[in-house]
Amino acid sequence: MKKETIIKFYSDFKLYIFPFIVALSSIFLIVFAIYPQTFKLITDHKLAENFSNKANFLETKVTALEGFDQEDLSQKVELTLISLPAEKDIGNIFGLLQNEILKSGFSVSAISLGNSGGKVGGSDSYELKVEIKGAKRMFPILLNNLEDSPRLIRINSIDISSRQSGQEIDAALILGVLYSSAPSNFGTADSPLPEISREDEELLAKLAEGSSVPQAPEQPQSSSSRGRSNPFD
Amino acid sequence: MKISINLLPPVTVILLLVFLTSLTLALRILQSNNIVLSQVKLTKAEEKVSGLKNTQASLFLLKNRLTTIKEYFGVPSKQSSIYQLIEKLIPESVITNAITVDKSGEVVFSALIPDSVSLDLLINSLTGKESNEGKIEEISIESLNRGRDGAYRVGFKIKPKKQ
Repeated sequence: MKKETIIKFYSDFKLYIFPFIVALSSIFLIVFAIYPQTFKLITDHKLAENFSNKANFLETKVTALEGFDQEDLSQKVELTLISLPAEKDIGNIFGLLQNEILKSGFSVSAISLGNSGGKVGGSDSYELKVEIKGAKRMFPILLNNLEDSPRLIRINSIDISSRQSGQEIDAALILGVLYSSAPSNFGTADSPLPEISREDEELLAKLAEGSSVPQAPEQPQSSSSRGRSNPFD
Repeated sequence: MKISINLLPPVTVILLLVFLTSLTLALRILQSNNIVLSQVKLTKAEEKVSGLKNTQASLFLLKNRLTTIKEYFGVPSKQSSIYQLIEKLIPESVITNAITVDKSGEVVFSALIPDSVSLDLLINSLTGKESNEGKIEEISIESLNRGRDGAYRVGFKIKPKKQ
């Protein structure tokens, strides 16, 4: 009875059964295999591209980093740290100021450390009061020398009084000496390298030129030295 | 009556779908391999960058310092610029007794001027827009005395333009 019903059902609908099964399997394949796999293929393609781009970027970065001469880079960093140290570096500033002042033909009456400090742009600063004496015509040169000195110095105030028909002056300068703590962020592996431009290189050259201390001339070796070096020998 | 059914189109559809499924699966396997290779390449590159982190840190520090140094190195301060400008504007016959440039760049100066011609010359050069390079906003005479010798003792207050 049951078998007969099935045979009857098949003979009645055999025209539709096979296409129906094909359609159902097609839908099944599309929904559960082709669509998800194609979707994943597209998203993973983007992922692979990202990985590849990042790897290429890092390899370029490695090549660039390996291209730097570590010693030269350290010297350049040292130069910039002389110009803008991380600490106040009070010990060196007195010597440098004295040098710049004497170079400009002035004599130092007093140098005193001010109490106030502050911010100049993104950097910190502390004040120094410098009292000097010298020729008035040399004063602009002194100002230029101070502001062109390898150590960053700003002139905060000027107080001048003249002596001897205005040719000689007593001046008191309040200087702002700049320093700045080291940055806390030195970049991650992903971060692009900062570019050292031609302008930066020129600035470094100027700093190197300014901070080179003239060496004391060597004593000439006398070729015609007479006598023993130690007379007691 | 005999009915014949052409089964080819449905079979073709099925075969086509099976082919597509296999193709996408094969592509996925290939892609997974590529992703693994890229990941390995990336990890190696990251390790190399980590090995060079001191160089990177030096470079970041160098750039950080250079950016600030560039801003101030050799750049005259407001006080220095205004002082040099005032000195340039004072005629040679005028004797400056005192000049003060304060933190805001305001200048106070007293001078001994031998005659009225020099006084005119000084005032004209201080107030002239071309001569003062448009850097002076306000000039006021704080004091003006004429001595028996005919010389003037003048106190000026000069306010520079805000940059």
